[in-house]
Amino acid sequence: MSAAQRGWVAAWLLLVAASAAVISRTTFTTDISALLPRSPTAEQRLLVEQLREGVVSRLVLIGIEGAAPEALAQASRRMAAELRKHDAFASIDNGDGAGVAADREFLWRNRYLLSSAVTPERFSAAALRERLQENLRLLDSPAGALVRRIVPRDPSGELLHILERFDSQARPATRAGVWFSRDGRRALLLAQTRAPGYDIGAQERALAQVRDAFAQADAAGARLLLTGPGVFAVTTRATVRGDATRLSLIATALIALMLLVVYRSPRLLGLGLLPIASGAMAGVAAVSLGFGAVHGITLGFGVTLIGEGVDYAIYLFTQTAADGAPHRALDRIWPTLRLGVLTSICGFSAMLFSGFAGLAQLGLFSIVGLVVAVAVTRWVLPALMPSRLSAPLVAAAGPWAMAAVRRAPALRYPLLFAVALVAVMLAAQSRPLWSDDLASLSPVPRADQLLDQQMRQDIGAPDVRFLVVIHAPDEEAALRASEAIGEFLRKASAAGLLGGFESPADYFPSRQSQRARREALPPAAQLRANLERAARGLPFRSQVFEPFLKEAAAARGMPLIERGSLQGTRLALRLDTLLVKRADGWVAMLPLRGVKDAPGLARDIPAAAGARSVLLDLRHESDQLYRTYRREALTYSLLGAAAIVLLLFASLRSPRRVFDVLAPIAAAVLVTTGALALWGQPLSIFHLVGLLLVVAIGSNYSLLFERQAPSGADRERTIVSLLLANATTMIGFGLLSFSKVAVLQNIGVTVGIGTVLALLFSAILSRRNETA
Amino acid sequence: MISGDSRFARRARTLLSLLPLLAAPDAAAWGLEQLMQDLARVKTAQATFVERKHLAILTAPLESSGTLTYTAPDRLEKRTLAPRNESLLLERDELTLESGEPKRRRTIRLEDYPVVAVFVESIRSTLAGDLALLRRLYDIALDGDERKWRLVLRPLDPKMQELVSEIRIGGNRDWVASVEFLQPGGDRSVMTVTRDTR
Repeated sequence: MSAAQRGWVAAWLLLVAASAAVISRTTFTTDISALLPRSPTAEQRLLVEQLREGVVSRLVLIGIEGAAPEALAQASRRMAAELRKHDAFASIDNGDGAGVAADREFLWRNRYLLSSAVTPERFSAAALRERLQENLRLLDSPAGALVRRIVPRDPSGELLHILERFDSQARPATRAGVWFSRDGRRALLLAQTRAPGYDIGAQERALAQVRDAFAQADAAGARLLLTGPGVFAVTTRATVRGDATRLSLIATALIALMLLVVYRSPRLLGLGLLPIASGAMAGVAAVSLGFGAVHGITLGFGVTLIGEGVDYAIYLFTQTAADGAPHRALDRIWPTLRLGVLTSICGFSAMLFSGFAGLAQLGLFSIVGLVVAVAVTRWVLPALMPSRLSAPLVAAAGPWAMAAVRRAPALRYPLLFAVALVAVMLAAQSRPLWSDDLASLSPVPRADQLLDQQMRQDIGAPDVRFLVVIHAPDEEAALRASEAIGEFLRKASAAGLLGGFESPADYFPSRQSQRARREALPPAAQLRANLERAARGLPFRSQVFEPFLKEAAAARGMPLIERGSLQGTRLALRLDTLLVKRADGWVAMLPLRGVKDAPGLARDIPAAAGARSVLLDLRHESDQLYRTYRREALTYSLLGAAAIVLLLFASLRSPRRVFDVLAPIAAAVLVTTGALALWGQPLSIFHLVGLLLVVAIGSNYSLLFERQAPSGADRERTIVSLLLANATTMIGFGLLSFSKVAVLQNIGVTVGIGTVLALLFSAILSRRNETA
Repeated sequence: MISGDSRFARRARTLLSLLPLLAAPDAAAWGLEQLMQDLARVKTAQATFVERKHLAILTAPLESSGTLTYTAPDRLEKRTLAPRNESLLLERDELTLESGEPKRRRTIRLEDYPVVAVFVESIRSTLAGDLALLRRLYDIALDGDERKWRLVLRPLDPKMQELVSEIRIGGNRDWVASVEFLQPGGDRSVMTVTRDTR
């Protein structure tokens, strides 16, 4: 090892150690915030906030099936009782009525402060008479048996008025006293974790408690079903981890086996993987330093670096096998290889400037990873390699490969025809080429999504899509605005524009409203006089309404409801999710149901004094977010392509040569896209990233093909090394295409097809005279 | 022709209805099971009703009237015509209430509302002669004889007892003539059912 070589190795070891140190302190995120532009709109920020930590992100839907209904109901009760002891859950609901009593008690006690119907007119003789007549009707109706006891205490019907607001909410079916699916085969529970949905570790612990509780519930033969955002996050992380680990292990083993067969040196196995391992570590460390955290998706792409990183090692090994001087082996093809790396960097660098953190991370990761991988190959590997390498297989395959390459150009016209055909087909296709559905990003398998949908429907879980969001400087202003907008929504609801809504003011009215309602109650003597006049001629026994007169008089001196008054009710939890304190003020949220005319509502939402309110369509916002993300990725990819063309012009200085290098790659990208479209898959952002990788890897192929080789033997070696490199890429990405995770599968298929085509097309379109 | 047939049919039915008497001439054999079997044989029935609710908080009973239609085994419609239009339709395990001007309609499932079920099942299961279901919900006592019997149902569930302490159903042979709900605290409602003679 020369002094210079020792220097390189030392520098490399230092880099690896530093990267490891940085990685050990890196936080990895998996939430949607990576899709957020650098300067998000208020709506986008709210959307991401909701998906990360909103109430929807905290729901766990639990199903128990596969046993007799009585056994399921018993298991449901036992599980609920067990889980309610745990701190991990803010609430466990299975329809058994636990907690209802406390809620009712709160509503009943505070009925005069909570009922929006309470006004001074409500207690006039005329209005009271109307209420009394209504009470007679009610007593005479089938509901009579239920209301007969509250009529003497609440003749103006405040409790019923309050309950009517809640009553319209969807409710699951009940069997044996607990929630069941409509078909009665599945007992249902709804849990809400205390931890936000993005805290996957906490979600995982909560789910483990659910499984424990199920095991303890001892429902023989029954199965436990879990779904919800947290469940998805946890299983996805496990699957991605499992798939990535399993597939990369298999890929490593296969590639190692291939290297062993070709080079017959166990030592080379480890060395072959050094560039990619170093590159991936440096890439993760760079992203961590540059962005503060590394997104799971970025990490997923680490696997894909195998594709290009291993290639460098193969080029080195093949060249070394020829003349046995590792430190000089790469000299011959270095200019070409360097240009190849620069081309790849151009392709990815455009992403660096993207406004989306997710894309920028990807760009930085790829660039750093590639530079390190090639540098390690160029300067570190030769120092660690055995000086003699024999590769009889390379020598044997050479003539055969050359024969194939020589005949390849005959396929030029069929290829041109195929490319033209694909171009026409893509142009004629009526279906959109790109999927604009955020769900296409979801790594959750289709079957799980369906189960989630079904359980959600059965349980009537909030599938919050429309939300009025109110920003206000303080709590009182947020509540007043909620009331003003609630009034508007009530009218809109009566006009059929929406099915209903929920508001924090339902449980916690503004102090202004509470005071007004308290003052609306007339003094005891006057109320008594009004009531006596109202009851004249009606068949109510005298003295019947004494409880009402007493309680109404007491309510005039009642303390106002404070946030703490809800303590111990389930309403407190609802309120916590609907009324939130932020660093810059308060946010109130009013979830809407059955929205018929969203644009109309958005237009007409009144301006509430001192607050800013907006109708948020979560689905629309998230689709919009994804669409701009995908468009930006496409734009930056095209910019990257333009940069590649410029780079090639600058270094090759010949339009003809630039064309020769670019034509095979362009054809490969086009045909790959066509194949995917023909497959019927709308393309996602992951396919796009796959295509970028095809450009990066394919440009190495076509550059090496296009390179003027000093001798026939050199040319032969180059071709064989390309075949080997492509075989490793095929192994790596081909395996990925078997993954259950959409991200990995999409990239695997795209790169697998694309690189083979790039190599084939490079041979077919090559204009070097092979017979010379 | 037609009248001849129907006369023949009527006579045949009368003869058939005598068969159990012939088979078991001993009157002591009449009991809950026999009553339920008789009731179960009724496939459709039309009647008018008058219902009076005696409530402790009121000085006079509330009175309503209307029609009842029963189709075996699980459809029962109670249509109130006075003092105002209102209808209650029980079909399988769904109860649909319709009332008010403008019309308001609401459907609930009985199993979601055990409180409602304890009322309506007493009548429907009796009409259907579904002894198994009655026994699941109530403690049952029968007195009187075939021509004038009285079923007394007491809800088994203590929570339901707070709502209704006793249900008394009176009738003769396969006809339910009155239904009385007794509630704790002295409130009660009495429904008298008269066969439609049309």
